[in-house]
Amino acid sequence: MKLVKKGAEADLYQTKWQNSKAILKIRKIKTYRNSLLDSKIRKQRTIKESQMLSLVKSFGIPAPLVYFVNLDKTSITMQEISGKPVHDLSELKIIELSKDIGKLVGTLHKNGVMHGDLTTSNFILHQNTVFVIDFGLSQISIKPEDHAVDLRLIKEILNSAHAKIMISSWKNFLNGYKSIVGHAYYTKITKLVSEIESRGRYAQVV
Amino acid sequence: MLGLGIESTAHTFSCAIIEKRGKKGKILSDIRKIYRPEEGEGIHPREASRHHIGHSSQVLSDCLQEANVTVNDLDIVSYAAGPGLGPCLRVGAVVARSLSSYYKIPIYPVNHAIGHIELGKLLTGATNPLVLLVSGGHTMLLAFLNKQWRVFGETLDITLGQLLDQFGRSIGFASPCGKNIEELASTSSNYVTLPYSVKGNDVSFSGLLSATKSVATKSKVDACYSLQETAFAMISEAVERALSFTRKKELMIVGGVAANKRLSEMLKDVCKRHGCKFFVVPLQYAGDCGSQICWTGLLESQIKSGVELKDTFVTQSWRLDSVKVNY
Repeated sequence: MKLVKKGAEADLYQTKWQNSKAILKIRKIKTYRNSLLDSKIRKQRTIKESQMLSLVKSFGIPAPLVYFVNLDKTSITMQEISGKPVHDLSELKIIELSKDIGKLVGTLHKNGVMHGDLTTSNFILHQNTVFVIDFGLSQISIKPEDHAVDLRLIKEILNSAHAKIMISSWKNFLNGYKSIVGHAYYTKITKLVSEIESRGRYAQVV
Repeated sequence: MLGLGIESTAHTFSCAIIEKRGKKGKILSDIRKIYRPEEGEGIHPREASRHHIGHSSQVLSDCLQEANVTVNDLDIVSYAAGPGLGPCLRVGAVVARSLSSYYKIPIYPVNHAIGHIELGKLLTGATNPLVLLVSGGHTMLLAFLNKQWRVFGETLDITLGQLLDQFGRSIGFASPCGKNIEELASTSSNYVTLPYSVKGNDVSFSGLLSATKSVATKSKVDACYSLQETAFAMISEAVERALSFTRKKELMIVGGVAANKRLSEMLKDVCKRHGCKFFVVPLQYAGDCGSQICWTGLLESQIKSGVELKDTFVTQSWRLDSVKVNY
């Protein structure tokens, strides 16, 4: 098996599942963590991610198909989505795709799913379609506060990793998001985002 | 170039003198007086500022004496202008302004958090690190991009230092409590499940604080152990996420909590997994000190000629990601 990526949480290997290309995602033991805490986290996230990957497909989110789950090894075998993460695309392309990402996040929220780790590395452009991956931190939630946390995270990522194009890509993201969740909900969530930001350390106090 | 740096953002009043030659800096002296609240209590801003006023002239003259220089030898004076406690910040600013106006020395307001990072870089030799800043005032993951430090993750509520201090005070320790908690934690290995809250690259500690307090009613030792294990694992995971996202090959840890051995041990393990170099600021310079302010001021003096006295501000909430770094 070829190691494709050593991620923060898991290692990804290229493998085969009944003659089609697949990815084996293993959440390996983290020796720095207390073993009780570690096995709990790894099990929980493996279950959560596999359930969520199937769930989000039901309302049309492009995401990898789950082929097999091995709870003892905390691993998931899933469809391989070839393509580049949005993080690595050109600035112009990222600005353009921000609208699609906004729509995807809007659709998740509308259906009561919080992704929990919205970074530009967790969206993959595959044949002109943006796929969402990495649902390990996701949650079933209709709480506006949780949705706002999602938005704040992607805003933080745009503001740091993509600082040069932050303004235009954030605008596009919000437009895409609004087009799915509607004006009223959009206003509510963006207000909550500002609230969360103002709770941050040394935020600009107005 | 000889610089004097004055730090007074929170519990520490400190003056330091650094000699800068090219890119190298040599710390000639670093004198500190630390305000200690009573057991079970936190920093009272007014009391802390009175403590600083009382000790300021002694600290300054000790600092000059140890470095074997006079005020007239100084090329610049810098002070921590924020973020921090208002009354405390003003003490340092007043000392700096007095020196600057009486002896006609160029003056530089410095961001305290940047001070932690710059001194860390000087002392560890890290060149392009992902920075974990963990102290009483900050819990942030930072990387340098386009002339500014950018935040890749941070706490959504209280900081790691506050978490340890507030819990420590609730079981009767005096701030700062990190060391006491670490000692107590090392005597237990009984993990009690506590809320683990990582949101992407961000963390949240407030739920953990309340839960740990209730565990402490049964066993203080287990509470300390479980608190450290949970909070540090959260931080380590956020670090791992940020490392894999930014693809940095260095990690530097600065700030008061950098002194904690268990945290370093965990982060070392993270670095090993990601093939990344690990730097931790020397213990003596992990906490707040004048050297941090002095060195940053010296760096700024390469490109700026100091500010007018009327522009020597202090700001309680001055985020480091709003500072342009041009040196």
